[in-house]
Amino acid sequence: MSEDALREEIIKVLKTVKDPDLNRDIVSLGFVKEMKFDGNNVSFDVELTTPACPVKEQLKNECETKVKAVEGVGNVVVNMTAVVRSTDRDQPVLPGVKNIIAVASGKGGVGKSTVAANLALALHVTGASVGLMDADIYGPSVPQMLGVPIAPPKGGPDNKIYPIEKHGIKLISAAFLAKEGQPLMLRGPMLGGIIQQFLQNVDWGELDYLVIDLPPGTGDVQMTLTQRAPISGAVVVTTPQEVSLIDAEKGVKMFFQVKVPVLGIVENMSYFICDGCDKKHFIFKNGGGKTMAERLNVPFINDIPLITNVAECGDAGTPIVVADPDSPASIAYKELAGKVAAQLSINQAKEDNVETSFEVAWEG
Amino acid sequence: MAEKDENGQGGFLPKKVYQVDPKTLGIIWNDDKECSYPVKLLREKCPCANCIDEWSGENKIVPGSIPDSIKPIKFNSVGRYAIQFYWSDGHDTGLYTYDLLRRLGE
Repeated sequence: MSEDALREEIIKVLKTVKDPDLNRDIVSLGFVKEMKFDGNNVSFDVELTTPACPVKEQLKNECETKVKAVEGVGNVVVNMTAVVRSTDRDQPVLPGVKNIIAVASGKGGVGKSTVAANLALALHVTGASVGLMDADIYGPSVPQMLGVPIAPPKGGPDNKIYPIEKHGIKLISAAFLAKEGQPLMLRGPMLGGIIQQFLQNVDWGELDYLVIDLPPGTGDVQMTLTQRAPISGAVVVTTPQEVSLIDAEKGVKMFFQVKVPVLGIVENMSYFICDGCDKKHFIFKNGGGKTMAERLNVPFINDIPLITNVAECGDAGTPIVVADPDSPASIAYKELAGKVAAQLSINQAKEDNVETSFEVAWEG
Repeated sequence: MAEKDENGQGGFLPKKVYQVDPKTLGIIWNDDKECSYPVKLLREKCPCANCIDEWSGENKIVPGSIPDSIKPIKFNSVGRYAIQFYWSDGHDTGLYTYDLLRRLGE
């Protein structure tokens, strides 16, 4: 068979490989690239919209199996690559950042910063370039969790601030603005100013994902961010108790009102696994996050187990995803990262025509 | 994703926001519905806390007090959910959410 005829046959079978999230075949999505022949051996790239794709291996296997079955094909090499797409094109704030993920909670103390830090690292582990903005003005805890000393970040010309790099991700934190151990005592307008600085002056470079750790609640920081930054989606963290769920629901509804897509609900400290057995102990009730997600018609992303190691790792400055990648919590965080990235890709596929950022002078 | 109220995910978003003529703003929504808005009406419907009493919801703009010559100087998007107008009378505190604009266009 000629190379062209073979190529045609291969494309035909690849058209039967579907991306389950985007619900379309990988050929019409434009994922198949760089097809090369060497005799009857063939190699090609499958370029996904995120390196964190949860079904990457499954797609690779399907491509290999189906192409190998084509008559006349010898060896098959499938390279899985990814180019993360940008949610908001042509917008002036954070132009080098492709996707901004806000991690929020209604209630404090649900482990939001732990989730944000581990989510950022889990995205990075897949090969994405990731930044983490700790916007929890009153209780910035991310530097402690990543093992970054509290010191003013390096500045540059034009009021530029350079983020600190640790564990492969870039970090800026409200903690850097105060002396260690000193509180930041600020009224509303100052908060807005700090957030504005984080958005305008930090030199993030090119990022696939910027994770923002928000303070708890629905106040000034949340409002400034949703008005000034093109947030691609929000993850709302809760714990299984009713007191946390009530507040988390308000957090979700805040994002509804400001049209930030809710990527999903995460139930943290969902259950306890002790070191003696693998049994899941549901200390704080069970399934509340899932029920709420169903009621509000938003995705439920994942349960994160309560494991003593998670807190220890955070306190010691090496989050669990890095310190113990095979622990049940790390696996849950990696699943979380995959689902968040997939949900962003799904939303992008839907939203192509919407105008989100504009400034127009009136004529006449 | 459309046909949700402000208590749900989604709702209508604009495909295009543009000036139709010196006195009219146009919006093409993501369900392809086209709406046009007299700018004077928009100024009269300003939702800011100075124009709508925050507690009673009463409109504090005196009927007839907005001149026919009113027009925006410019307008811009706010986050993903609203438009802010800078009016020729100096007023600029109203954030017109897409939910509000859609209701005004029905």
